Amino acid sequence: MTDTTKAAQTALLSGSLPPDTPSGGRAMAPVDRTASRRRRSRREAWAAFGFLSPWIVGLLLLTIGPMLYSLYLSFTKYDLLSPPVWVGLENYGRMAAADPRFIDSVQVTFLYVVVSVPAVLIASLGVALVLNQGMKALSVYRAAFYLPSLIGGSVAIALLWRQVFGQEGIFNQVLAVFGIEGQSWIGNPNSALYTLVVLNVWTFGSTMIIFLAGLRQVPRELHEAASVDGAGVFRRFRHVTLPLLTPLIFFNILMTTINAFQAFTPAYVVSNGSGGPLNSTLFYTLYLYQRGFANLEMGYASAMAWALVVVLGIFTALLFASARFWVHYGDER
Amino acid sequence: MTIQSSITRRWPRRAVAAGALGALLAVSACAGGTSIGETPAGEEVQDGQGEVTGSARLAWWGSGQRNEVTNAVADNFEAANEGVTLEREFADFGAYFQRLNVQGTSGNLPCITQMQGRQLNDYTSRDLFLPLDPMIESGAITVDDIPEEVLDTGRGTDGNLYVVPYGAAYDALVVNETLVEQAGSEMLPEDYTWDDLVSWATEIQANLPEGVNALSLSGGRPNFLISYMAANGETLFENDQLGFSEEALVEYWTMWEELRKAGVTATPAQMSEQPEQPEQSYVSRGVTVADTAPGNSLINSQKTLDGLGNGQKLVSLRLPSGEAGPGNVLFTSGFAIPKSCDNIPTAAAFIDFWANDDESAAVFASSNGAVTNSRHLEAQLANPELPELRKKDLELYQEIAASEPPTVVYPPGYQATFEESFTRAYERVSFEEVSIEQAVSDFFTEVNAGLGS
Amino acid sequence: MTTYAPVRRKPLFGRSMSRNKAVLAITRHFLMIVVLLVILYPLLWMVGASFRPANETFTTLSLWPGTFTLDNYRDGWTLGSFTFTRYFLNSLLITLLCVVGNVIACALAGYAFARLEFPFKRTLFAVMLGTMLLPYHVTLVPQYVLFNELAWINTILPLTVPKFLATDAFFIFLMVQFMRTLPRELDDAARLDGCGHVGIFRRVILPLSIPALGTTALFTFINTWNDFLGPLLYLNRPELWTVTQGLNSFLDATGQSSFGPLFAMATLSLAPVVGFFFAAQRLLIEGIATSGLK
Repeated sequence: MTDTTKAAQTALLSGSLPPDTPSGGRAMAPVDRTASRRRRSRREAWAAFGFLSPWIVGLLLLTIGPMLYSLYLSFTKYDLLSPPVWVGLENYGRMAAADPRFIDSVQVTFLYVVVSVPAVLIASLGVALVLNQGMKALSVYRAAFYLPSLIGGSVAIALLWRQVFGQEGIFNQVLAVFGIEGQSWIGNPNSALYTLVVLNVWTFGSTMIIFLAGLRQVPRELHEAASVDGAGVFRRFRHVTLPLLTPLIFFNILMTTINAFQAFTPAYVVSNGSGGPLNSTLFYTLYLYQRGFANLEMGYASAMAWALVVVLGIFTALLFASARFWVHYGDER
Repeated sequence: MTIQSSITRRWPRRAVAAGALGALLAVSACAGGTSIGETPAGEEVQDGQGEVTGSARLAWWGSGQRNEVTNAVADNFEAANEGVTLEREFADFGAYFQRLNVQGTSGNLPCITQMQGRQLNDYTSRDLFLPLDPMIESGAITVDDIPEEVLDTGRGTDGNLYVVPYGAAYDALVVNETLVEQAGSEMLPEDYTWDDLVSWATEIQANLPEGVNALSLSGGRPNFLISYMAANGETLFENDQLGFSEEALVEYWTMWEELRKAGVTATPAQMSEQPEQPEQSYVSRGVTVADTAPGNSLINSQKTLDGLGNGQKLVSLRLPSGEAGPGNVLFTSGFAIPKSCDNIPTAAAFIDFWANDDESAAVFASSNGAVTNSRHLEAQLANPELPELRKKDLELYQEIAASEPPTVVYPPGYQATFEESFTRAYERVSFEEVSIEQAVSDFFTEVNAGLGS
Repeated sequence: MTTYAPVRRKPLFGRSMSRNKAVLAITRHFLMIVVLLVILYPLLWMVGASFRPANETFTTLSLWPGTFTLDNYRDGWTLGSFTFTRYFLNSLLITLLCVVGNVIACALAGYAFARLEFPFKRTLFAVMLGTMLLPYHVTLVPQYVLFNELAWINTILPLTVPKFLATDAFFIFLMVQFMRTLPRELDDAARLDGCGHVGIFRRVILPLSIPALGTTALFTFINTWNDFLGPLLYLNRPELWTVTQGLNSFLDATGQSSFGPLFAMATLSLAPVVGFFFAAQRLLIEGIATSGLK
C-alpha cells in the first residue's frame, strides 16, 4: 500500500467525512493565489489534452472523416460503385413521405426498444444483486449467466433459436406438456419480434457485468452502518446501494437504449437478413443495411442513419438533463 | 516508467503528425473520391494477350468442399504458369457480395471475380467489367466447348459477353419417392405440367400422415416463378422492366392460394422459419413431399434424410411444363474481369485455363453447377466413380440443356429489388394481409421503379 | 484494509440461525441451477449436437448426443487450406492487441473526462458521445476507402490501430462513469502527497478502477473475438483469417453446409472467451478488495 492511497483511505474511511473537508480543486481554491490557480488550471488543461491525445488522434484520423463523409452522402445518390451525385434533401423527403417500409421499420424499432430495454435492465440488475450475495461457486454462476452473451451474435444462433422457438422447438414441446398447442413463434408476424426481445434479454450478460462491477464498489461499512441502524434488506438497497449505483444505471439505460435502437445482428441472423415475416423484425438498421448494401442506395441509407442520430441525440440530451435529479457521483458534494 | 505514462508523454508529438495526416486523408476521402468507381483501364480495347506473370486476385463464394477444389484448380494454374501467384479470397455467398460491393467503392475489385447472371448487370450497368469478346477473338480465351446458349447467360444487357460461365445450375423438383408410395400414389409423369402438379399434390395430401404436406408453400420463390413464366411463354424482363403481365402473376398466386387453403402446402409461418440452406429444407427432413430446390442439392438433402434413419429416398425431376413447353432455365456462375484489373493477361489466362483444362475440371467435379464444357461433362458422366446422385444431377442438366432453355438476362437491381419484393409480396398474400390483386399491383409498381438502377 | 472490502461470503439477509441458512443456501442453489438450465439450453444443445454424426445434427431436441462421435471436431479443425490452429492464433493475436490498446487508450481518455478541467470539455464530451450514435454501417465504406488508401488491407492494422486510438466511445464513457464514482478526496490526498496528474492516475485512479478496466478488457476481448465484418473486409487472404471467418465458411446457401463441424468449432471457439472471463473476473469482482489497496 502506498502512502498516498493510505492517506486517501484514512481520509475517506475515518467515519463520515466532515462537511468542510476540502473537496476537489475548486473547493481548495480560496487558499491559492489567483495567479498560481491560473497556472495550475493551465497545467491541468495540458495534462488533460495529453491524456486525451490518443482519442483525439483517433477522432480526427478515423472517426470524424467517415462521419462527415456519411453526412455528405446523405445528400447524394450514391450506389457505392459509381461516384455520388448531389440530390439535396431528396433522401430525407423520400423517407418522410413515400416509404412504407421505412415507417414499418420505425414502428418495429420503437416497439422493440420500449419492450426490451426495461426487460434487460430489470433482469440484469436483479441477477447482479443475487450474484453479489455471498454464495458458493459464485464465479461459475457468473460465467454461466454470461455465456449466452458470448454467442448471441454468431451464425449458429439462428439455428439454435429455431430449435427453441420454431414450430418443432423445445418451447412448444414444453407447452404441449401443459396441453397448450404452440405455433411457429419465429415464423409468425405477431410473435417474431418478441422472440428477438427474448434473445436480447437472454444476452443480458454485459449489462449484468457492469452492474456487478459497480456493486463491488459499494463500501461494505455503509451497509453495516445501515444494518446497525436497523434497516432491512430493501431499505438498505433503496437508500445505500441504489444511490451509489446510479451512475452505472444511467450508463446502462443510455447504452441499452442506443443499442436497442441500433439493433441489427439478431434480426439479421434470425430472419436471414430479410426482416420478415411481413417486416415484423425489420429493425431500423436492418432496413438501412438493406438499402445501403443490397439495393445499393448508400445515400438513402446515410440519410436514415443521420435521422437516427438526431433522435438518439435528443434522447441522450434529455437523459443527461434528467441526470442531475437522480444520478449521484462520488465527485460531488 | 510505466507503459501508461510513457505513452502519455510521447503522444503529443505523434498526435500532431498523425492528426495532420488524418485531416489530409479525411479530405481525400471526402472529396467525392476521384478513386471511387474510376477505372484505370480506360476505353482501350483489351484483348487479353500479354505476358502471364505476377500476381492476381481470385475471388469466389462457397464453403468447405467448394473452397478445397477451387484452391486445387488455382494451384494447378500456378503450377502450369511459372511466376504466377493467385491471391485467393473466398467467403459464403452473402458475405462475398457484401465484401465485393465495399471493394467496388475503392476500385479494388479482385482481378478474377466470380459472378452470377442475377447480379452481373448491377456491375455492367456501372461499366465495371471488361467485355470478353475481344479476348475470345484474340484467342486468349477459348470457349469452343461451351454450348452457345449457355455462353449467352454470361452476356450483359448490352449484349457483350462479360462472364465466361463455367458451371450451370438449374432448379429441380425434389420429390420424396417413399412418401409418395406410402400415400398410395404414382410418381409424377415424365413430362408433367403445372396442372398435373396441382392435382397430384392435392390427391396425395389426402393420404399423408399428420404433419406432412404434399408441397412447400413456394409462391414466394423467385426461381419458381421464373420457370412458370418461361413455361407459359411469358417474357421475364423487357427494357429493364417486368415483361410479364399482372394477370399472369394473379393467376400464379391464385393457384398457390388455393393449394394453401386446401391444406396441401406448409403454412406461411413455417415457410418463414425454414432455414435457407437447402439441406435443412422441409423436403430434406421428410415433412414435405415435394419442393423446388437447386438440382445439385439433391445429394446433400438425401444425406440429411438418411440421418433420420427412416430409409426415405429422394428423386429429382424437371420443373413442370406449360403451354410453351418445358420451364427450366439455367443459372450460371463464371468469372469476370474488372476494368480496374492490373494483370489482365493473367486473369484471361486463368479463365481460359478453368474453362478448358481437363485435369482441373475433373478435380472441381461440377462443384458449383454442372460443368459447361461439353467435353468435361461427358468425361464426368463416363467416370465410374461418380456418385449415383451426382450422376442423376448431371444427366438432368444435360437433358435440360438439350431442350434449349430460354436465356434470361437479369436487369440491374434484380437481386435486391425483384427477389426481395417478390418474397415479401407473396407473404402479404399468404398471411392474408392484402388481396392478391392488391399485392400484384403494389409489386409491379415497386419493382418497376427499382429495376434498371 | 479489510473494512473497505466488498461484501463477501456474508449474505445480506443472513441474520438468522445456521440451519435456516443452510436451507436457504440449498434453495438458492437449486433455483439457480433450474434457471441456468433454462437459460443455457440452446448452448447445451449445441454442445450435444457437436458430438452427433453430421447428418443427425437436427434430429433431436435432446441435450444428449445419442450416437457419440468426435468426427465433427476432427473434420472441422482441418477445414480447407488452413487448420483452425491458424485461425485461433490469428484471432488471439488480434484480440490481445485490441484488449491492450483499448484498455490503455480508454482509461487515459476516461480519466481526463472524469477528473480534469480543460477548455471545451463539455463540447468534446458531447462529440465523444455523438460518435456512438451513428450506425456503423454508413461509416464502413468511408473507413474502407481510408484504410485502402493507407494500403492497410490484408494487414491487422485496420482492426487493431483504432483500438489504440480509443475509437470506441462506449468504453471511454464506461470509464468516465466508473471513475466519477470514486471520491474526490482520494485525488486531493494524493496531491497533498506531491503527486501530479500522471501520479494520481497511476497510483489512485487506476488501482481503484480495476473493475472498470477488467470490464473493458472482457468486453473488448469478446467483441473482437466475435467480430465478423471487420475481418471479412480487411483480412481477405485465408492465411490471415480469424475464427469467425473459419466458422462462417461452414455455411453456404449455394453449396454444402457442414452443421456438425460448425457446432463443434463454435463450441471450441467459446473456450478462449470463457477462459478469459475466468481470468478477468478476478479483476472485476475482487477489484478494490485485493488488487487496489494493498
